[in-house]
Amino acid sequence: MTQQLKAYKNEILIGLAFLLLLVSLIYKQGKVSATNSEGGGATSSLQELKEVIALKKVWGDKKITKKVDKIKDIVAPSKVTWSKKGKKLTASFKNMSAQELNRLIVKIMNLAVEIQKLEVQKLDTSYQVEFKCKW
Amino acid sequence: MEKDRPLILIHSEMKYHSDTSPDGINIMLTPQFYTVKRESLPVQYAYQAKRIAPSLFEGLLENTQEHKYFVDKEEEHWLFIAYDIEKIKSFLTSKGIEIANVSKMFFAEQSIAKFKAPVLLGEKDALVNLEGTMTIIPQVVLQEEEKPMPFDASFTPKKGVALEGRSTSILESTEAYTLAAILALFAVIYFVEGSRYTNENAAQEEEMRLLLEDYPSLQSNYTRESIATKYRTIDKKERKKRDIIKALSHMIFKGSTLTSLVMDDKKFQATFTYTDANIKKKLKDLAKKEKFNISEISKSNNLTIGGSL
Repeated sequence: MTQQLKAYKNEILIGLAFLLLLVSLIYKQGKVSATNSEGGGATSSLQELKEVIALKKVWGDKKITKKVDKIKDIVAPSKVTWSKKGKKLTASFKNMSAQELNRLIVKIMNLAVEIQKLEVQKLDTSYQVEFKCKW
Repeated sequence: MEKDRPLILIHSEMKYHSDTSPDGINIMLTPQFYTVKRESLPVQYAYQAKRIAPSLFEGLLENTQEHKYFVDKEEEHWLFIAYDIEKIKSFLTSKGIEIANVSKMFFAEQSIAKFKAPVLLGEKDALVNLEGTMTIIPQVVLQEEEKPMPFDASFTPKKGVALEGRSTSILESTEAYTLAAILALFAVIYFVEGSRYTNENAAQEEEMRLLLEDYPSLQSNYTRESIATKYRTIDKKERKKRDIIKALSHMIFKGSTLTSLVMDDKKFQATFTYTDANIKKKLKDLAKKEKFNISEISKSNNLTIGGSL
């Protein structure tokens, strides 16, 4: 038996190498399929989770109330009527210059709040703004 | 390992050999089966020496193409041996030695240093080291003081020849090893690639695990979906509002003034005052570009731009 095996050792060697190749190919294909099914799912879940975290950070910001308060610092207190109840704000701004209006609009645009109403009126050279939002 | 196997000295007068060794045997050929040359050549490696071997035996052999060559480096020379493998196999078979049972084939020249005394070959001849070359001489010419020495496995040299293509093998060792190496190389490549996919998955799972540790409230799929739906709606609507404000701000330039803006959750309307027809046209073009609705107020220099959210 041993002699027979020796006689065919070259063929046995090739056979074993081919078997190894076959096993490695099956292994690789298995991993590729797993990546495309489970892995693909994992990738989309991860992306979805990252998206939810990003959205939560922006629209669920717990410091937003303090950030909203800074709006009234843009203009002199005499020009502002401020009413904040819970997570809702109603504010009026009067006698604003164009620069003050510009600063206010930029500030509002950068705040992660839901704009419910934004009304701007030009009166001669000054501007009047009504702003309602919630968060 | 090779020295553990019995070493059989092959000569033309040898008796029929009935080998019973389960691990096979090694054989050592006497000069009857090969032609030897020792040359001092400026080559460093055996494969280089093997390449020039046929040219060294030109004129010495009847047909150099039927021969194979064995090359080994000695202290000062290269040892070249030419042998006819088919002739050797045929002889071995005729003496009852199965080719498949032969592990390695050696040449007496390789163990020249060990032939310190004559080795008797049957009843008539003797193998002797004659001035550095193994030679077969009749036993009758041996001196009386020359005591013959026994031949055993201790004569086995390090380097030998495997009897390629022995028995029914259709592949030669060199071809087989090369092909096996190529297949094994591909196998390694596939294993590495497979492993890389595993690592990628593991890295993603680890990243996911770390994120969920930081945000435990998002561990439930239902919660995640719910939060995502809520914030995606807000995000979409609020981004649109801000984009509109930004677009309207680009319509304020020299000759164009914003006189009013009203925006709520559903719609927006802005009124611009322009100074001349060119400004009016530019305003209209900008509004069209943003796909806003435009309406002119008659008998005035005002333009109303609006739209829904």
